[in-house]
Formats: sequence, structure tokens, C-alpha cells
Amino acid sequence: MNNIWTLLPIVFVLTGSLLVLLLEVFIQRETKDYLGFVSLMFLVLSGAACVTFWNKGYSYFNGDLFLDKLALFLSLLFIIGTALIILISMKYLSLQNTNYGEYYSLLLFALIGTLIMVSSTDLIIIFLGLEVLSMSSYALAGLKRNDEKSGEAALKYFLLGSFASAFLIYGIAFLYGTSKSTEIFSIIDHFQAVSSQSILVIAGFGLLIIGFGFKIAVVPFHMWTPDVYQGSPTPITAFFSVLPKAAGFAVLLRLFGPYFGQITQSQNIFMVLWFLSVLTMVAGNLLALRQKNIKRLLAYSSIAHAGYLMIAVLAKSHYSLVFYLTVYLFMNIGAFSAVIALSKKDKEYLQLKDYAGIGFRYPWIGATLSIFLLSLAGFPPTGGFLAKFYVFSEAVSQDLVPLVVIGVLASLISVFYYLRVIVYMYMREPSTPFEIDTNNAPLVLVLFICLYGVIQLGIYPGNVLLFIKQAVASLPF
Amino acid sequence: MASFLFATLSIICIGAVMGMILFKNQAYSALCLILAFICTGGLFGLLNAPFIAVVQIIIYAGAIMVLFIFVIMMIDVRKGLSPEKKRWFLYPSIGMGVIFIGELIFIINRALGPSQTLASDALGSPKVLGRMLFTKYLYPFEITSILIIAALVGAIVLVKKKDTP
Repeated sequence: MNNIWTLLPIVFVLTGSLLVLLLEVFIQRETKDYLGFVSLMFLVLSGAACVTFWNKGYSYFNGDLFLDKLALFLSLLFIIGTALIILISMKYLSLQNTNYGEYYSLLLFALIGTLIMVSSTDLIIIFLGLEVLSMSSYALAGLKRNDEKSGEAALKYFLLGSFASAFLIYGIAFLYGTSKSTEIFSIIDHFQAVSSQSILVIAGFGLLIIGFGFKIAVVPFHMWTPDVYQGSPTPITAFFSVLPKAAGFAVLLRLFGPYFGQITQSQNIFMVLWFLSVLTMVAGNLLALRQKNIKRLLAYSSIAHAGYLMIAVLAKSHYSLVFYLTVYLFMNIGAFSAVIALSKKDKEYLQLKDYAGIGFRYPWIGATLSIFLLSLAGFPPTGGFLAKFYVFSEAVSQDLVPLVVIGVLASLISVFYYLRVIVYMYMREPSTPFEIDTNNAPLVLVLFICLYGVIQLGIYPGNVLLFIKQAVASLPF
Repeated sequence: MASFLFATLSIICIGAVMGMILFKNQAYSALCLILAFICTGGLFGLLNAPFIAVVQIIIYAGAIMVLFIFVIMMIDVRKGLSPEKKRWFLYPSIGMGVIFIGELIFIINRALGPSQTLASDALGSPKVLGRMLFTKYLYPFEITSILIIAALVGAIVLVKKKDTP
């Protein structure tokens, strides 16, 4: 149904980010918390719009912008994710001397990018959404300006990111050249009509996979991830590890769902994704074993999770992919908030050896971090277990047994490095005494929201799963 | 006439690109690149796409090349790669070049033939392009405006004076 209200979720976020820019100029304050609250207000409005549009099937711009249920669910998820990131940033920004009002504005711009990506099936629009996301991300990575590592992160992300965007647009050009369309469904229909084995088609899809592979950080396109994650301000790292990845997978779902469903000769691309998935799981987990810095460790863990998510794409199991993304958002943002909690003025504790004895010193932080790490490793009764369980069982029912075996073995490896953090927290004597700033109410709120999310999705995912199943059932493939 | 122009422009273009690679002085390379861009603009003109032709010259040969020249001004031009490093780069690049030529021949043989249809006169005109931008491509066009403002804000915040609170 063509309706101008379709624009509402994006317009609310856009208004919020522009208003933040203006307020920053006119209201000078020592801390910029109030800008965070302004952003949160607009996120609530946008989220409310998403909720009320459920079941309406609005679209605009001749279907270029189409809020189907999947788009609405993911948009809501991203809005919640960004709200959590804003909450954990408030205190962090003044503690780490990164007090720029533009921070919130750029964060909202990045969110707009993801919203655009998930609500369209036109590759050009998806590409532009990705660019909006990337441009804001490059700047966000470099915001800790008194830290050299942050500048390095921004530069690396920018150079490699532009490279990946070039691959992506090149791939889109190839697909347009063969099918005269940039719309996913007409491209697929065209390939169904003619042979899908043309070299241009393979080249086009290959380049698309490289471009998105970079954004969702699958091996061998993952080189940037640890450095960028380590250098960026920690809330931004949490953002990077969740939203761009989830948006990228949403696009892969929309692209490869119909592709694997309708094209009979899709083995080539299938095998490519198969190998990417295996490489990502194995290399991501093995490299994580050697990490001494918690942010780098979580970076490699997020690479490994991209591998598990890829299994869901290969198993054509859309609901398990979306469910995994939902759980992943809560557990990863939760883990990063616990990392942020261990900081004080101008100092973050990021080395593994700093974590010795945390479990007894700050029992709440230790306990929540342990639960998030166990969830990332996939222990029941957390959400991480159910997410992996759904993905693996769907893959088995699609006869992808070797892939599942590798996936399970890889997650066994991952247990080691997740548990090592917990061992440090509870079983090592603290080497150097240190103090952290515990007066951080928004962060505690986020820790509890994420904890609730992880436990709720692990023990009783019923309602959420129902919505996810509705969302993927409405897809036309 | 058209094929004569096509041949001339193509030869100049290829020559300019060769010059860009072979000149030791980066400033000459940049000038060669401008020449190549202008020739490409001419080729677009021959394909009945006057708008793209003009944009090619204004944006690439004009704006982007100015940026290139600024960068060349700021970095040390004379300091090239050291001989050992050059040797290190040489063999892999020969290998990559051979593979790339092989790929090109393969693709040209398999997939690309000379196109028989020329774009219609109206397609490349500014009027049609403008109309397309504000009808069919309105949404991407609007997203571009968000993209530009995001890039602008990002760039400004990164170069802002450091001691601001």
C-alpha cells in the first residue's frame, strides 16, 4: 500500500540526528548527556512507528521503500540496539574525553543507514544505505581523538571500507548489465528465465559476496576487524559488532533466499558461501585463542559468530537467522557494556590480566559478564544456546551435516577462550589493585536489559519467536 | 567520422594511461590521468551521452584531479620505493598482470560482444536524467543527501580543533 507515512521511522531518526546537531551548537554544556536523551526520545518515536506499522504492509516510492514485517522487526531491533548503545555511551564519553555532541548525531545517521538497508530490495538503495552506515562508522571509529589507536582504526576502516564498497558497486553493475535491473526479485526472475551460469552472473554475485563479506567480517575479509574494534571507542565497538553485521545478513537473506530457492544451478555460489562459513568459524575461533585484549577477543568472537550466521543463510532457514541476530544483539552489547563498566576517568581496563579477581570485587559486573560470555559460547539456558541450537538443527534438516559438525567443533574451541575470561575473573588473584567508576546508572540499566533479553530468549523465546516466524513467513520466497 | 573519432580518442586515452603509469614524476602522471579522463568524456559524448561526458570532465578532470594534485603537493614526490622493495613488488605484480589479462581475454570472449544498439538520443540528455532523478530514482537521490550530510559531519568532527571540551 502506497503511503507517505512509510517514511516515518526513518524521518524520526533523521529529525533526531539533525536536531542533535543544532542543539549542540546552541546549548553549551559541560557534558552532553542531554543530547543522548534527545536522541533516545526520537528513537522511541521511531520504534513506536515501527510497532504500529506491523501488519500494515506500507510501501512508498513505488515499492523502493517497503516496510514488510521482516523490515519492521529488524528496524525495531536496530532501534533498540542503538538505544542501548546511547545509554552505555553517556557516561563513557565524559570519562574518556570523547565529549562530542556529533557522536549521537553520527550514531543516528548510522542507524538510518541500517534502516534503509533492511527496508528495500533494490541493490542501489541497499548500497546507498550501506554507504550512509559506513560513512558515519568511519568517523565514529576515530572519535577518541587523543588516542592514536582510534585514528588508526578510522583510517584502516575507511580505506578497506571504500575498497569493499567498490567491489560491491562493481558487482551490482555486473548484475545490472546482465539483467537490466537492480531490483533483487527482477534479477532473480531474469536468471530463472535465462541461464544462470553466465560468467557475468558469477562475477557479479562473487563481487557482491566480497563486498558484504567485508561488512559482516567473514574470513578472509576480516583483517580490519580486530584493529578497528580495538581502536574505536568501546560503545562504538559494540555498535560495529552488531548493527552492520545484522544489516548485512538481512541483505544476504533477501538476496540468497530467493536465489537458492528459485535458481536450480546455484551450487557454485553455494559452495563459495559454504567455504566462507567454514573458514570463518575455524579461523575466527582459533585466532581468538591467542588474544590478550578483551576487545580483540570479542572482535574475533564476532567474526566466528558471522560463520554460524552464514550456516543459517546456507540452510535457508530465515527464522533461525533472525532469531540468532536478536540474541546476538543482546549478548554482545551486554558483554561490551560489562567491559565499559570496568573503566574510570581516562582509563579503560582492557587487558585480560586486569580481569583477575573482578568476580569477587564487583560481583554484579562479574556475574553479568560471565552470563553474557556463557551465552556467546552457547551454554543453556541462555539465548546463545537456543540460537545455535535452531541454526544447527535447521542445517541438519537441510543435509548440511559436515557444516554442522565443523560448527559444533568450532564452538567447542570457543568455549575455551570465553571460559578463560571467567577463570581470570573468579580464580586468579588480582595483580594490581584498581578502582573503577561505579556511578553509572544508564549502564547498569543496559546490563539488566541485556541480561533479561539473554535469559528470556533462552528460557522462553515463545513470543519473540512467534513474531520472527510471522516476519519471515510474510517474505515472498 | 564517428569511428575515426573513436579510434583517435581511444588511442590517446590508452597512451595517456600508459604515460600515467610510466612517468616517474607523479605530477606528470596526474596530468596524463586528466588527459585520459577528457578522452573518456569524449567517448561518452560519442555514445550520445552528453551529460555524462560533461560530468566526466567537470568532476573527474576538474574536481577530483585537483584533490590528487593537492595530495602530490603534500607528500614527498621524489622519494620513491627502495630498490629491494621494488624487486619484491615486481614479480607478484607481473604474475597478477598476466592473470588479469587472461581474465580479460576470457571475459571478452565469453560474455561481451559489441553492442548493436546505441542508446537513444534522449537517454543521455540532462532533461531526461533530471526527470529520472526526481521520479524513478527519487528515493536513492534523497538518500544521497543523507549520505553527504553524514560524511560532512564526520569529516568536520574529525578535523575539529582538539582542545575543545
